[in-house]
Amino acid sequence: MILTKILLGLLQIVFLMALAPLVQGIIKKIKALFQSRRGPSIFQSYFDLIKFLKKDQVVSEQASWIFHITPYICMISVLTVGALVPVIGVSVPLGFAGDALVVVYLFAVMRFFMALAGLDTGSAFGGMASSREMMVASLAEPALLLSLFTLALTAGSLNLSGMVQKLADLKIAVISPSYLLVFVAFVMVVLAETGRIPVDNPTTHLELTMIHEGMILEYSGRYLALMEWSAWIKQLILFTLLANLFAPWEIHLLWYPPKILVLAILVACIESSVAKLRLFRIPDLLAVSTALSILALITLVLKGL
Amino acid sequence: MTDTYFNELTTQFSYAFLDSETPVPDELYITVKPEACVGICRYLYEKCGASLVSMVGSDERPLNGGFRLYYFFSLPGHGSSVPQGSRSFVNLQMKVDERHPEFTSITPYMPAAHWYEREIQDLLGLKPVGHPDPRRLVLHENWPKGFYPLRKDFDYKTQPPRTSEDFEMKRVEGEGVFEIPVGPVHAGIIEPGHFRFSSVGEKILNLEARLFYKHKGTEKLAEILPFTKGLFLAERICGVCSFSHATSYCQALEKIANIQIPERAHYLRTIFLELERLYNHVGDVGNICAGTGLLVGNAQGMLLKEKLMELNEAITGNRYLRGMNTVGGLRRDLSEEKRILILSTLRQIQKEFKALIDVIMFLSTQRDRLETTGILSQQVARDLGVVGVAARASGLDSDLRRDHPYAAYDKVSFKVPLRTEGDVSARVWIRIEEVFESIRIIEQLLDTLPSGDIRVEVKEIPPYKYALGYTESPRGANIHWIMTAPDSRLYRYKIRSASYVNWPAVPLVVPGNIVPDFPLINKSFNLCYSCTDL
Repeated sequence: MILTKILLGLLQIVFLMALAPLVQGIIKKIKALFQSRRGPSIFQSYFDLIKFLKKDQVVSEQASWIFHITPYICMISVLTVGALVPVIGVSVPLGFAGDALVVVYLFAVMRFFMALAGLDTGSAFGGMASSREMMVASLAEPALLLSLFTLALTAGSLNLSGMVQKLADLKIAVISPSYLLVFVAFVMVVLAETGRIPVDNPTTHLELTMIHEGMILEYSGRYLALMEWSAWIKQLILFTLLANLFAPWEIHLLWYPPKILVLAILVACIESSVAKLRLFRIPDLLAVSTALSILALITLVLKGL
Repeated sequence: MTDTYFNELTTQFSYAFLDSETPVPDELYITVKPEACVGICRYLYEKCGASLVSMVGSDERPLNGGFRLYYFFSLPGHGSSVPQGSRSFVNLQMKVDERHPEFTSITPYMPAAHWYEREIQDLLGLKPVGHPDPRRLVLHENWPKGFYPLRKDFDYKTQPPRTSEDFEMKRVEGEGVFEIPVGPVHAGIIEPGHFRFSSVGEKILNLEARLFYKHKGTEKLAEILPFTKGLFLAERICGVCSFSHATSYCQALEKIANIQIPERAHYLRTIFLELERLYNHVGDVGNICAGTGLLVGNAQGMLLKEKLMELNEAITGNRYLRGMNTVGGLRRDLSEEKRILILSTLRQIQKEFKALIDVIMFLSTQRDRLETTGILSQQVARDLGVVGVAARASGLDSDLRRDHPYAAYDKVSFKVPLRTEGDVSARVWIRIEEVFESIRIIEQLLDTLPSGDIRVEVKEIPPYKYALGYTESPRGANIHWIMTAPDSRLYRYKIRSASYVNWPAVPLVVPGNIVPDFPLINKSFNLCYSCTDL
């Protein structure tokens, strides 16, 4: 029994690992179409991974063990999260191991090490990016937690699969003002967490403006593959959470791809229609997200009373 | 210079005047005593409102046993048209003795002279006494002391030994001050330049820009080549202002040879100059979107720029309009089909550009990035003699096309846009307005294009004559000064590009802004490294 669960959990992880580069490729393709470009193939991210894995790596002489360990920590954290969230079924094989809070904290571990690695090589861009990432994180994390709490209150459980189940049971009644507010708040957090415009520009070559890219600037070869791949998996997991928490119907393999595709298109549309925010406006955006979550919470409590 | 000014000047400084001449119509050359030079410069700058447009050092020891310095002033100052028939450029020249290779620096009174004087020190070995910042500029520390490439006894093939000394960067010290070195090798396809930021958190306290990583010896090389080949060199001073540079070169030599080029050539040159401005400005406006992460705007801008460059190729055979200019006119004519092609393409571009502007310039996130970012104050702009788009965005009403008309600019009516905010947004808006003005100019010229020849043959040029050639390039005024030598060669070719005068303004604009806004500020100036580093 437990063995099957573990096997199923592993299968879910492998599924996320396999699909994540494709989602990244699709977003890139849609953005390219918006820019009147043909764009690379949607499978380009797989080719990139293979290329990185084959390449030699150059590591700064100043780098300590933190630099070497970070890619593995990032990958392990994100894969653990992958085992904890409902993906193509309401029940999570390894769901007994942790709830929504663990998901948030595992992301925090990943970010913590990534910021350390950015500082570790002593390059100016890495340090700058790490400090910016911490600023964004200190605002994005509470926003993410608050929105999850609001959903947990609706569902009466912090266990992700329990939450999804409850929300699914509510059927159409789940759509309430608070639910919609949380959805908007959650989308904003996802944009910040995945390093996308308007918070960060994933395609820029301007080191002085980088956040996520700045932290991994010193990585090459296999390490870079791990860093990129784990970031893509994190993105897919956040999309999955969005899909399953805010469209908690028909949670099975057949409906999963279309839901993710819609989200990819949504993100590409947002990225193509706004300019990147001035760095010190990012807190405003995340404050709005937090405020929306709080509003949602209040609406919920008032309704409950 | 009007006669009143000239009379005042002569009475005030009569003791210092050695000689004056007007070799070409709008240029007045006054030879002065070295000790009075600073005083006269100050008088011109402070009392007459003149601006320093170029400064040339020349090794004339073989001719008259000394070095010679030329100070070029444009009169009157910014903001008004030069009255007809007046001598609008005033040149002061003075001799510097070979045994005492020194001159008094005018930088303390006219900050605009700071780079010229440092350059003269590097290339000719004349020391500006009293210069507040006499560090190396053009030749870096790996160039040995005592090798002065622009001296006539320096062979252009000389390969001096490499030395190494450190360049002293200005440092800001204190609690929490962080130094960010950027470049000279950059991530994008950008020319080399080193930027050293001192910042606290994200706020920039100081920026020092170190350029001149690829000194090409253009001015030295021009002294070797015959004037017909020198044109190809002028066309390759930089890619994006190629036609402006070539036109400046040709105009200077045409003045020296005292020939009138056909009216049709004037018209065609003006059309190509405006086509050059168009593709640059459209590209720059699109490129601003790369700085703000508005990727769709960036892609659309590049698309429009590509269309304009394809138009260039269709009508001249070269995307950068190279190979069209020649001393005496143009090398190829514009057929009727091509005339119609330009008109129809521009009509299309105008529509598409308008649509692009309506999207990108009214987006709140975009406006928030552009407005109040990177403000260049009018005072700084005036002190440094900033030109072009950057000057007009900071309230300096200067445009050579209107102030000192050349080619066929006196035949068309156009507006010179002016803004006073001095921020990134103002610079972008100036470009946008100029795009529409350029299209209007080209349409006017194409409608009234005279027929006839497109060039007159210029076989040789008289020796030891000099003249200015100038154009308002997309980045601002390009001022070329040529002195000829026997055998139709050049004795001295001084190229002063718009980028050269505008670069020093960038580090002054940046402090107080945040680090991630620097690329955007830099893009709003969009200066050329190649034009600067000759």
